[in-house]
Amino acid sequence: MGLLEFFKKIEPDKKKSPYLHTTYDAFFTFLFSPDSVTKGGVHIRDGMDLKRTMVMVVIAMQFCYLFGTYNIGHQHFVAAGQYLGILEGFHLKLAHGLIKLLPIFIVANVVGLGIEFIFAAKKGHAVEEGYLVSGALIPLIMPPDIPLWILGLSVAFAVILGKEAFGGTGMNIWNIALLARVFVFFAYPGTISGDEVWVSGYEKLAPGMSVDYSWWHTGLFNTVFEWMDVAKFQVGTVVADAYSGATPMGLATKGGWTAVTEQFSVAQMFWGTIPGSIGETSKPLILLGGLILLATGIASWRVMIGMIIGCAVMGLGFNAWDANAFMSVPWYYHFYIGSFLFAMVFMATDPVTASSTNIGKYIYGFAIGIIGLLIRVFNPGYPEGWMLAILFMNTFVPLIDYYVLEANMKKRVVNA
Amino acid sequence: MGELANIFIKSAFIENLALAYFLGMCSFLAVSKSVKTAFGLGLAVIFVLGITMPINWMIETYLLSENGVFSTDLTFLRFILFIAVIASMVQLVEMVVEKMSPALYNSLGIFLPLITVNCAILGGSLFMVSKEYNFGESVAFGLGGGFGWFVAIVAIAAIREKIKYSNVPPAMRGLGMAFLLTGMMGMAFMGLMGIDFVNF
Repeated sequence: MGLLEFFKKIEPDKKKSPYLHTTYDAFFTFLFSPDSVTKGGVHIRDGMDLKRTMVMVVIAMQFCYLFGTYNIGHQHFVAAGQYLGILEGFHLKLAHGLIKLLPIFIVANVVGLGIEFIFAAKKGHAVEEGYLVSGALIPLIMPPDIPLWILGLSVAFAVILGKEAFGGTGMNIWNIALLARVFVFFAYPGTISGDEVWVSGYEKLAPGMSVDYSWWHTGLFNTVFEWMDVAKFQVGTVVADAYSGATPMGLATKGGWTAVTEQFSVAQMFWGTIPGSIGETSKPLILLGGLILLATGIASWRVMIGMIIGCAVMGLGFNAWDANAFMSVPWYYHFYIGSFLFAMVFMATDPVTASSTNIGKYIYGFAIGIIGLLIRVFNPGYPEGWMLAILFMNTFVPLIDYYVLEANMKKRVVNA
Repeated sequence: MGELANIFIKSAFIENLALAYFLGMCSFLAVSKSVKTAFGLGLAVIFVLGITMPINWMIETYLLSENGVFSTDLTFLRFILFIAVIASMVQLVEMVVEKMSPALYNSLGIFLPLITVNCAILGGSLFMVSKEYNFGESVAFGLGGGFGWFVAIVAIAAIREKIKYSNVPPAMRGLGMAFLLTGMMGMAFMGLMGIDFVNF
């Protein structure tokens, strides 16, 4: 019996058990294309459907996931002054990263997909796959030590009020992943903002504070590592005396670019072995993901170009103005620090919340570049500006589209 | 000049009357169904705020304050006089709109005369008093506040026009959605809070 026959056989009745059928349908369409297709549609060019679009984005993010897992562990040991080399203690770094990342990933997806399933069954729809991307993005933009209940709450807020209230996938005005993050940002500022870097696994990030290992470290992984006869997690480890927990952005505010490079080299910032949100640090891997999105035509290069130009123009303007230390940071280095690239590749280009007209995309990207850098440099309260800039511009996307369409219509009338 | 530009930008985006103080909500929620009407109402609010603010400033300084013509503290008359000025300005706007654009006049309906009791306008004047602005600053504050309100209502109108075609749950349709949108827009605008151009 083939797999298809097996699936046909166990298909639950849609009328009798809608919840079961929704679940069934979600997994069925992962394996097979649905057999209900549009007939005679001249506009259909290939078999790309929503689920495959979404999966492509998730694939593009996998590099960030792999590096993020490693980097959580790497930063943890750098703070303790141990295993400073990239490959030293690799298994420990990976294990620590997994212990931190997996619960975040599971909570974000169970909460989000759970809500999605309930709404889909209530509406009598098939499950809308939109959450696959949000569920993959949310863990990447959270700090590794975020309390899981805050994470669950923020995801529930974003999915219910940001998406389901608007009518589900493809209808939302604001980016779901950013809504979840902005909720944490404003409701629980202590967990996500501030000048201190996010290094996980310590009671508090100050010299002399000891590690905060769970059973997974000392029980599970130490047993495995003992059996494999490799280095283990040391319970007595403390934060090294010389370790300062300032972010590149915080350093730039105080002392400009020289203060940043005293602590992090440019190569470090480029390759991503610096502390930060889980997925935002490694620039080449984000660019690789961006290339995949561009090659498959999911992300819009117009938004990216607009954003780069906007950021560069603003950076050059600040260089010319040169009123404080942060403004004198050379404009091209603004691409290295913080989450500019991640926001550009995965957040701003979201086809739902970005402008849908071509001219609108340039305007949208350009304005994000301007506002994001403005918030980064000008606003002492917020360490980074791209999330807020993108949400701000999401608000104006319908207006931009409205006026671009009006202008197009006027042009047509004149030409006709 | 930089000082005035700072007040303009601050009142337009950072301390937005609609999205940071949630003033003028009645017309903000009711007239934001289409971009065209919202645009008209927004312009009317800019005009009324921009005119009444300096007039009210003059009333406050030359009539009501102790240093004014009467040399007595008459500030208890502030509300009545401010509202009277606002009402007469709105009357003026109404006459102009009726003459110039009857279509807009009809679509705005009762909300045009109701600008009189739009709390953003009286609120703006009272903010001006409590912030102790001078004449130039009160002009900048009035125009900036009006512009911010205009931007907010046009943006929410565009969003509401867009989600007209969405499958919004029945319970959320109409006003519920407008409330939710206002809150979310307020959150998006919070990103600019705290920016101050004066320190540079």
